Amino acid sequence: MSATLLLARRNLGRNRCRLVASVGGVALALTLTLALDAIYAGVANQLTTYIDRAGADVWVAQAGVRNLHMVASWLADSVTDEVRAVPGVAGVTSILYSTDTIAARDERAVAYVIGLPADPSIGGPWNVVEGSDRVARGEITIDRGFARKAGVSIGDSVTVLGGEARIVGLSEGTANLLNSVAFVSFDDFRATRGGAPVVSFVLVRVVPDASPEAVAAAIERQVPSVTAQSRADFSAQERRFVMDMSADVISIMNVIGFVVGLAVVALTVYVATLARRREYGVLKALGARNTALYRVVSAQAALSVALGFLVALAVTGVIVLVVPRTGLGLELSISAASLAKVGLFAIVIAALAAILPVRQVSSLDPAVVFRRGTAI
Amino acid sequence: MLLLAHRNLFRDRTRFLLSVAGVAVSIGLILLLAGYRSGVYRQSSSYLDNTPGEVVVAERGIRDFLGTSSALPAGAEEAVRQTPGVDRVIPVISQFVIFERHGRKDGFFLIGYEPARGGGPWKLAAGREPAAVDDLVIDRTAANQHAIAIGDTIAVLDRTMRVVGLSDDTTFWAGSIAFARITTLESLLRAPGLRSFLLVTPAAGVTPEALRDRLAVPATEVLIKSEVVANDRKLLARVYDAPIGLMVAIAFLVGVLVVGLVIYAATIERRREYGAIKAIGARNRTLYRVVTIQAFIAAAVGAIVGVVLAYGAGAVLVAWRPQFRVDIQPAAIGVVLAGSLLMALAAALIPARSVAHLEPAEVFRG
Repeated sequence: MSATLLLARRNLGRNRCRLVASVGGVALALTLTLALDAIYAGVANQLTTYIDRAGADVWVAQAGVRNLHMVASWLADSVTDEVRAVPGVAGVTSILYSTDTIAARDERAVAYVIGLPADPSIGGPWNVVEGSDRVARGEITIDRGFARKAGVSIGDSVTVLGGEARIVGLSEGTANLLNSVAFVSFDDFRATRGGAPVVSFVLVRVVPDASPEAVAAAIERQVPSVTAQSRADFSAQERRFVMDMSADVISIMNVIGFVVGLAVVALTVYVATLARRREYGVLKALGARNTALYRVVSAQAALSVALGFLVALAVTGVIVLVVPRTGLGLELSISAASLAKVGLFAIVIAALAAILPVRQVSSLDPAVVFRRGTAI
Repeated sequence: MLLLAHRNLFRDRTRFLLSVAGVAVSIGLILLLAGYRSGVYRQSSSYLDNTPGEVVVAERGIRDFLGTSSALPAGAEEAVRQTPGVDRVIPVISQFVIFERHGRKDGFFLIGYEPARGGGPWKLAAGREPAAVDDLVIDRTAANQHAIAIGDTIAVLDRTMRVVGLSDDTTFWAGSIAFARITTLESLLRAPGLRSFLLVTPAAGVTPEALRDRLAVPATEVLIKSEVVANDRKLLARVYDAPIGLMVAIAFLVGVLVVGLVIYAATIERRREYGAIKAIGARNRTLYRVVTIQAFIAAAVGAIVGVVLAYGAGAVLVAWRPQFRVDIQPAAIGVVLAGSLLMALAAALIPARSVAHLEPAEVFRG
């Protein structure tokens, strides 16, 4: 270890309280940024669960509809057959979709309500842990988490789409922070809309070896007034929606996290330098140059920021592990991009924090060490 | 003692400013976050606050205005209109629509209304209300952000619509409110006769509660407007309160750390003086008090600066992103000032140990 680093480490480590404050402050600030990114990335991941798990290779929607969350998509019934006739299409399932409230006892929650045909090949619940994955008229499959919270089970009824439905199945993995997914019969759903001959999405499976993107393009060419997207594209659009909607909030919080982190590191480095004034004076008296002293101060800033970054990473890691167990329905995810961003923040913070004590060090009088009365 | 605390604190001006800045940033941040949160809540009820009607009729099971797509049963509007005690009924269709411009997605809460019956924009800043089926009124801030002017067209689902008016007071936490004719939404959603909500005004002499109890339309939910507003807020709270709470906690901790550190530094630097005081018989308690008074002075000055900072930062934020609204409530200021005292107390604990361990003999050491 070089002498500079050794001195910096000693300066930092000798006073445990200051070390904790400095590393803790950086860690808090960086955790703020990292955890917030993880929350939004987690929400974005969760929002695409139905898109990812429904089993469709291509999603066909009303023209202009490129997202699922809370939107409306209504297509004429005839579109189902038109899509089926497109080359490369192996099978289709049409579903109805709306964002609705499901209520049971005193519990109510927002849900994507999916109207499923009697014998769906795709589009239904993918992990039914209790009961049936098929829904007939007057029946519903709901998320097990909601059922638990409401204290209902198979055979009980819930309010959905303005009517009542009896629970026949409980599924898992169908809930997130914002909503869950519930499945009712296609005919019940259609009846609540006055029986209009419409569907929301046509879910398409493509023939083996066909590219979903190519089939989606063919559907858009052959069927008027629809938007067709491969599952990957649809999923990516949904993620982008969450990110675009939360971009402003995230950037505000990033600025705040950055300023707070900078303030704490700058202050601790400044205070540490202040407290070690005598030692620096000794070094100067022994002939050390200002640059050597700057290096020690900068190394301190870098060390506390690096430690803070590691602690922030660990804390966020713990949050990511713990939060999904709290029943909030929230999963978090740390992305490489977010790590890179926060790492960059940390470097800039360390660099700026090291500037503050420059004047302190350079104006230091080597004679300070020889003065008896000077307080440390 | 006050004099000693005062001297310790003010002798090094940089350090005093640092401690004040630490508290100010922390208090300002907490206040700004609280103001942001209440601004979000205030915005969430702007449509219902500004549209006539005391009672809301929705699809059965639906108790909020923003979170879901309500579809009333056929004939509900007629049944409500014929109920005695009803003065005015405003039917609306609401649907969340995602659109994209310049590669960025944004959301509209699209409201379909009948201009003759009400429920449209309450503050039209430019242009006119929608008259033709493809006419659209959008929020002025959203229009500015996406560089949309009156006369421009936007793709909404499978339709190209022309912007004919710009409204104010309609920006929103997750997009903005846009207005079109009710028939436009019926055709966009391929649902002739669809109604999402009815906003009902009771006749003179009828209370909203009495009207609510009287409105017994099958397959509907009848609620007082304030209940719907409260439910919308609860929905928002699920999304907003956890991150905001986390940030307030972090801001508070940082404030404690900064004040604590500065006073700690002031204390170790004055170690000799404290030792001298101890040597002439002062107790630890006296020294604690000096440290605590220092913390309180720093916290009090910092809190005042913090309040000013919060208002300033709020103004900057709103100028930068006009869709946000920052409502700093007087009550929040009170809470935060109390919080700053708490901060001072916690911060005073940091240097307390070094004071207690101080040897009176320190002063005699060369």
